Amino acid sequence: MAPATEHQSSFLSRISRRSQVVSMEVNHEQELEELEDFQKHVAERFTELLPPSDSPESYPILSIQWLRKLLDVFMSIESEFHSVLTTNPSQISKPPLDKIVPEMLDRIVKALDICTAVVNGVDSVRQIQRCAEIAVTALKQTPLSDGSVRRAKRALTSLLAALNADKNSGSSGGGSGRRSSTDQWSSFGRRSGGSGGGGGGGGGGCVSKNWSAAKQIQAMTANLVAPRGGEASPIYIMSSVMVMVMWTLVVAVPCQTSNGLMVHLPLPKNQVWASAAVSISERIGEEMKRKETRCGGLMEEMQRMERIGLKLMEFSEGFRFNGEDDVTAEVAEMEETCRKMEDGLEVLQRRVREAFHRLVKSRSEILEVIDH
Amino acid sequence: MAEFDSKLPVSGGKNHVFEACHHVVKALRASDNNLDANLRKLLSDLEMHLSTFGIADTEVEDVGFSEIKERFKEAVKKIRSWETNQSTILEAGLSEANQFFQALYEVQSVLVGFKALPIKTNQKEKDVYNQATVALDIAMLRLEKELRDVLHQHKQHVQPEYLAVSSRRKDIVYDESFVSLDDEVVVEASLHEDDEQISDFYSSDLVDPSVLPHIKAIANVMFACEYDQPFCEAFISVQREALDEYMVTLEMERFSCVDVLKMEWEDLNGAMRKWTRVVKIITQVYLASEKQLCEQILGDFESISTACFIEISKDTVLSLLNFGEAVALRSCKPEMLERFLSMYEVSAEILVDVDNLFPDEAGSFLRIAFHDMSKKLADHTTATFLKFKDAIASDESARPFHGGGIHHLTRYVMNYLKLLPEYTDTLNSLLQNIHVDDSIPEKTGEDVLPSTFSPMARHLRSIVTTLESSLERKAQLYADEALKSIFLMNNFRYMVQKVKGSELRHLFGDEWIRKHIASYQRNVTNYERSSWSSILALLTEKNESVRTLRERCKLFSLAFDDVYKNQTHWSVPDPELRDDLHISTSVKVVQSYRGFLGRNAVRIGEKHIRYTCEDIENMLLDLFECSPSPRSLLSSRRR
Repeated sequence: MAPATEHQSSFLSRISRRSQVVSMEVNHEQELEELEDFQKHVAERFTELLPPSDSPESYPILSIQWLRKLLDVFMSIESEFHSVLTTNPSQISKPPLDKIVPEMLDRIVKALDICTAVVNGVDSVRQIQRCAEIAVTALKQTPLSDGSVRRAKRALTSLLAALNADKNSGSSGGGSGRRSSTDQWSSFGRRSGGSGGGGGGGGGGCVSKNWSAAKQIQAMTANLVAPRGGEASPIYIMSSVMVMVMWTLVVAVPCQTSNGLMVHLPLPKNQVWASAAVSISERIGEEMKRKETRCGGLMEEMQRMERIGLKLMEFSEGFRFNGEDDVTAEVAEMEETCRKMEDGLEVLQRRVREAFHRLVKSRSEILEVIDH
Repeated sequence: MAEFDSKLPVSGGKNHVFEACHHVVKALRASDNNLDANLRKLLSDLEMHLSTFGIADTEVEDVGFSEIKERFKEAVKKIRSWETNQSTILEAGLSEANQFFQALYEVQSVLVGFKALPIKTNQKEKDVYNQATVALDIAMLRLEKELRDVLHQHKQHVQPEYLAVSSRRKDIVYDESFVSLDDEVVVEASLHEDDEQISDFYSSDLVDPSVLPHIKAIANVMFACEYDQPFCEAFISVQREALDEYMVTLEMERFSCVDVLKMEWEDLNGAMRKWTRVVKIITQVYLASEKQLCEQILGDFESISTACFIEISKDTVLSLLNFGEAVALRSCKPEMLERFLSMYEVSAEILVDVDNLFPDEAGSFLRIAFHDMSKKLADHTTATFLKFKDAIASDESARPFHGGGIHHLTRYVMNYLKLLPEYTDTLNSLLQNIHVDDSIPEKTGEDVLPSTFSPMARHLRSIVTTLESSLERKAQLYADEALKSIFLMNNFRYMVQKVKGSELRHLFGDEWIRKHIASYQRNVTNYERSSWSSILALLTEKNESVRTLRERCKLFSLAFDDVYKNQTHWSVPDPELRDDLHISTSVKVVQSYRGFLGRNAVRIGEKHIRYTCEDIENMLLDLFECSPSPRSLLSSRRR
């Protein structure tokens, strides 16, 4: 056999030596090329997501548009992975990859549940949006009166409570102690009834009892170890990408989770394909530290709503009829943010559901390859 | 808030208020369709007052205006009196309710009036406006509370009785262990329990219908006052919680994909059964009623009713869908076939209901998701069905089956097939385009049922053919030719009996039955030949010497003993088959022996004849009893 020594520790070199040398060399070439292409693809797509970029299409990190783009990147990388897999199915049935594959399948299933949690989480954000809309409607009344401000205050109270729900409650299952017989089934974080009116927080459901996004992400990163020396296999790359995307979604969207979402992802620092992704995840990690939250819900629009909401609340509390204060600018900004949410959240949910189905397909394709 | 004070000027400014009233009346008249009796009365009163006053008549004006002012003051007082009252306005009675609404309309008129004024009013009038906004907000908040309380207190439960019954039934688990159950138990378990009862509970009212007018009045007024968003939020929140509670009473749990993949078969079996029941109740009964309720309350407001309904039902529906998807992730084990069949069947059945629940664009994502899930279940079910054959084909035995009786595989397969006619329509639709080789040629005619050549029938025959091949292979493991035949006859007989004694006979058809009866009859013949031919050959003689005859007799006894020793351990479970075997064996053997003895007994001499004919006849009856300890050979006739 005439391997190039620099590739000795690559996954290719572990392919059965009983194969014919000639065809193996040809395969080698092909596979190497494919691997390079795949890595390049990954690097390029993630670079598009980097902040701040010159393209007119760049959005702030963790904004709804950016998240949609993230999912586009994920789907595109997944398609590439699929073609790598179909042209070289033998890759995943030879050792030691035959051990790595079951781990990947397991990660996919966890990712499915995370997609479900994110879809539910987006519903919670919709709920928050509705609170904000009520506040906007109230504060747009002219002339602004005590009645409108009362109404706005109620909505803003709900809004701010919902925005901070995860941070206060801590444990999964919305530890406010108000959950009783509906524990098994009812929504995470939902307040029952409530006299405050205007959206009682938490509109999304739960994945299952005691499920926690943070724990699942943690589990997904277990055994995600870069192969020593040389090249990373497509499987390893795909797994890492999947973990990174899922983690990012959980950071952005308020999901059913216990405290303790990890701040650092075990992504390889020295590989070209990963550098943009590492950059992005570090930025996100910084954001998490800055906000002192390990619970997710850092979507850019939500943060903005919190900021404006606090200002509006201050205004409302100090409001006097015929006073001089003017909040039209803030109200307009809030309205604009609501509009962004209105336009973007549904599509985001749809993309996450598409990702769910794609992952299901990917899993059954891998299983089929293994079975034969 | 300061008590309302007459700060209104007596001169000059009053014209503004007067005009405001005109505007109010005009505006309200213009929106006549939404007015209820109270408001109409209010308007006519007002109009009457206004019409009797000319602008010039200042004195009378003041009287007219102060009346409005008084009314406003009273209205605010009425509204405030309800602010802290915890009981519902509804239960205070119709008159109280009317008064509250009337007060509200008063306040709203003032607001509308002020808004309609073309010129800025003075500070004092602005204060009135301000107070009116607060009164309105108090009223709206109070109505929101009213909405929640009334909906909650007048909730009606959808509780089909059969639910209590089925949850008590023990789930029969269809794994290898069920081969040891009596066949009767298996039959019992396959009863399709719940279809009929559900239709009795169509469109139950989720809320006591008598409170609906009150709720609708709340909706109308809150929408009129531009508090539609809080109304919807409150409504959605209460209804969604009610649905959640209902799911709890149905004992439906949520499972993650990870959970579903890890679950033990017994637990998953139970969860799938539950899902099958629950998804039907929810889509056909509960959500249909919920949609109706939304229509009744919010039907006047175009797309709002649809939007609210979707918000209320979305979470539960998505969760049910998720379980369907998760279940399709599991591998296609044959024991799961029946559960998949029912889940798929139900999912296909409710598509019509789902389409009716979510016909619009807004709900299309749910509708589409349901169709997708149903398709996934269809594919998965079909794959599981087709894999059943593979599982049978790959069932390899290392050793011959003890006693030549009915193999576990045969029992399993046949009992399983017996359950499938219940899903005939479903299976036919799933299998219609999947080709399979049939073991009997297609026929038409008067005596041939169309069901015999349906896709399902063809596939079932093909499955049984695979079973037969497997059995042939297992039969090869027997060294003893006779035992091989016993094994095959037992198993084929069992197959035939199962088919004849159930719905399967319409699917397999008479020709298949005939062919298979012939098959095991052949094995009966084989058995007799391989067991007895050589032994009976000992009993045919042609002028043998006495010594030879005695030798023959002895050999016969020894050979017979051998057969006896072996074949009493063999098993022919089917009583009829066993009787037939006894009879035909007996006829052959006893006849030959009787003939032999008849011809030669005298020459051989009694002391060389071990067994009488009677002995032989009796001992033959012990064969195939599969008794652990056969009657001792020595206990037979002693010498």
